[in-house]
Amino acid sequence: MSVARRTFIQLGAGATVGILFTPTVWKALDDVSIWTQNWPWIPKLKYGAVEAKPTVSKMCESGCAVKVRTVAGEPFGTMGNEDNPISGGGICPLCANGVQVKNSPNRIKAPMLDGQEITWEKAQEVVAEKLAAAGSKVAVISGDQTGTANEVFSALLADKGSDAFYMMPCDMQAADKAWTGLMGGSGQVGYDLEGADLVLLAGADALESWGPTVANLKSFAANESGKFIFAGPMQTKTASVTSLWVPVPAEGMAAFTLGIAYYVLQAGKTVDTADFGQFKAMVMSEYSPAKVEAATGVKADRMADLAKQLLTASNPVVVPAGPVAAHGAAFALNLLLGGAMKALPEFGKAIPSAMSRSEMLKADILEGVDTDLLFIYEANPAYALPEKVKAGFTVAFDVVQTETTATANLVLPSLHPYERFDDLASPYGLAAATYSLGAPVCKPSVDAISAATFILGLADLGFESFEEVLGAKAEAVGADMEALQGGEAFVAEGETPAAASLAANVLGKAAVPVKGTGAVGLAPYTLLNVGTANQATTPNAPCTISNNQLVGDHMVVMMGSATAKQLGVSVGSKVKLSGGKGDCEALVQIFEGVMPGVVAAPLGLGHTVGDEFSKGKGDNVYKILTVSSEAAAGASTWAGSTVNVAKI
Amino acid sequence: MQTKEFKIRWGMVIDIDKCTGCGACMVGCQVENNIAPMTKSDPYNYVQALTKPRDDASNKLRTLTWMNVYELSNGKAFPEHETAYLPRPCMQCGSPACVPVCPVVATDKNEEGGIVSQIYPRCIGCRYCMAACPYHARYFNWWDPLWPEGMDKGLSPSTSVRPRGVVEKCSFCHSRYLQAKDKARMDGEDPMNLPEGAYTTACADICPTKAITFGDLNNPEHKVHELSKSPHAFRLLEKLGLHPQVYYMSEREWVRKQGDNYNAEAGGHH
Repeated sequence: MSVARRTFIQLGAGATVGILFTPTVWKALDDVSIWTQNWPWIPKLKYGAVEAKPTVSKMCESGCAVKVRTVAGEPFGTMGNEDNPISGGGICPLCANGVQVKNSPNRIKAPMLDGQEITWEKAQEVVAEKLAAAGSKVAVISGDQTGTANEVFSALLADKGSDAFYMMPCDMQAADKAWTGLMGGSGQVGYDLEGADLVLLAGADALESWGPTVANLKSFAANESGKFIFAGPMQTKTASVTSLWVPVPAEGMAAFTLGIAYYVLQAGKTVDTADFGQFKAMVMSEYSPAKVEAATGVKADRMADLAKQLLTASNPVVVPAGPVAAHGAAFALNLLLGGAMKALPEFGKAIPSAMSRSEMLKADILEGVDTDLLFIYEANPAYALPEKVKAGFTVAFDVVQTETTATANLVLPSLHPYERFDDLASPYGLAAATYSLGAPVCKPSVDAISAATFILGLADLGFESFEEVLGAKAEAVGADMEALQGGEAFVAEGETPAAASLAANVLGKAAVPVKGTGAVGLAPYTLLNVGTANQATTPNAPCTISNNQLVGDHMVVMMGSATAKQLGVSVGSKVKLSGGKGDCEALVQIFEGVMPGVVAAPLGLGHTVGDEFSKGKGDNVYKILTVSSEAAAGASTWAGSTVNVAKI
Repeated sequence: MQTKEFKIRWGMVIDIDKCTGCGACMVGCQVENNIAPMTKSDPYNYVQALTKPRDDASNKLRTLTWMNVYELSNGKAFPEHETAYLPRPCMQCGSPACVPVCPVVATDKNEEGGIVSQIYPRCIGCRYCMAACPYHARYFNWWDPLWPEGMDKGLSPSTSVRPRGVVEKCSFCHSRYLQAKDKARMDGEDPMNLPEGAYTTACADICPTKAITFGDLNNPEHKVHELSKSPHAFRLLEKLGLHPQVYYMSEREWVRKQGDNYNAEAGGHH
């Protein structure tokens, strides 16, 4: 059969018209489109019952009360726990990514001795041997500010005749040194941010990383009639929502606070302490507004106005951060004002031989640690304090690999907060003593055990497991275990604070601003999505980090245009910041919310160990902080750090 | 273009004076909607030597963040400088610019509370919708979503994972809406009249300052109904006439002006 050209064209046209009218082709195209998206490496979802189980998360410094969302028993997300006053339903960006950290390949999967995997039995044997050999030369560094695990570690130290318990540097420590150490106060200081009608955040970036951040944010939101003011060297995220930002250099915060106290004293406010007269004389002569203005650059008029506002408020509070002197000055001012500062009762101990929280805060890690055997509990001193810590043998407990676990002799995997029993006792800054409990919401992903249970196996401390310790703690607190496990918190109201002294002698000397010798002041700041001294950024957080902190793999530092002009740099300039015992590389960003003569740099970047989300990103600002001695206050501080900036 | 009107109009009112830009909403959104953390390595790419390495989250032009937080500045020098943070989900416009430009009808605005939908299997990745959206609220999947080994265990059961080559966007956590309606039906309640809080988005849920309020803009019993009428409320680029279902609030005039991309020299807007 032959096909004529005309017939061929007719058939072709007919087929084309037919294709347009048949759904087969369009359906096939639709199917192809769907199937081209059905690659085997695209993960499939898991289905089953969805639940929300209460527990506590310890990834940020004060911890979050959370509910872990599970599907068929497998955790997939974290939400705030509305039943717990610490949360009010919200969570911080670190704890929001808790499940992703739990499942991270960066988890430590088994005990490692000098880089070789060993059994838990062998680990126990090694530590017992080192413990026997070390005698009393044993120390502990803890990155946990709120947990009863600290009682277990400190009880072990007591058993060995050591008191070398170190907390990673924190505001709670400076507050305790000022309040119980210098001023003879009792209890833990707290601030009623929700009940106050005027809140002066004197350096405390309370709405981004200071103290119990989520509880602070919740209080800020709930406080409809209160006014918030932030004082500090840069216009932080906290300052973006406060009514006013008062630029004050970090090293001048204590003097600035005493400058306000000058007016408050002038208005006739008094405190019933033996040294009140001495304090008043000291402030009136040494911290007159003119002198404070000369030392800090803060105008006397500004301090007078703030004092007026504090005096006319019915329930004001000043919230400090930074050095011991800044805390002491703020506490003295709060006592004069008689506002919303509280003294929280300390909960009873689970282990009688353990240290109290105040005792745990006494040792100053910035003065250095040198010991035979060192236990590091969920802290990362090799990252944040690389020059300060030396030990003959180091045992590091952590959930994920860090700079510290990379250098430790023995690395022991901790259970993730969602896999273990843990607790949150009175995070620093809350206005009420609060106790929350966490129980496992899923099975462990790796061969990990509770660090505290491991320690209990090394000495006879009266308990077999950490779970038992927590039972005793709940009893000592006076809380109902069932309610705690259901996610509720035990709350004991804070009391009106009283101090034996205003530490006039010490504050007079310690509040004098002391600045380093570098060309510009350094304003280090912490953002929870970037990370903390103990916790690197989490898998989903990098895209939340702005170009003001990180561009590509380069850290970004911010400064005002006047400072940039003075240094001869502009947006995008690559610079080297030298200070302390190291230097950092960064790109420059202009941000007019930084005081002239100051460069602001984000803490938490520059990890050399960790997952692909944090490793090699930016530079480590802890390297360029300078430790200076608050000689009069008997403490060390990073405030007043300065750097030299060179264009490269 | 005519605005589509529906009985239910889910919307947000975001109080910029309460937002500290902490990023929790962005993280919560990614976890809820199975947005993969961006990874540089691709174990499934067997011809890596011939292809470009993947971008990580540092490249903001290729990140997937259905919710994004922008930093605003009043542009003044120290010490008059002020700053603010503006969270930006999909605006779920009443007259969406993205819908009419889609050649395969992968996106639509329908009765589902006026939420602009996106049908991923139908999307051919032409990105016309991205070009049309003035809010930059649509994102192209440049890279296959890959979770590092073990991390895919923690996937949310709510949202299927989208492959490379499609355009994604915020859906006001639409799966939560379906769940809330199912629950209402099971409880013998009216799924078309959900009470305040029965359906809320992951970002509103997680926000520690509760800067984000979510609800039915048409329902006088929902907070957003009243809040959206506040004298301090405004919508982004309102002059374009897209009628976003996301409102912002600020007592700061400079913030409100920037929200509408205010051009003083051109006489402002009405």
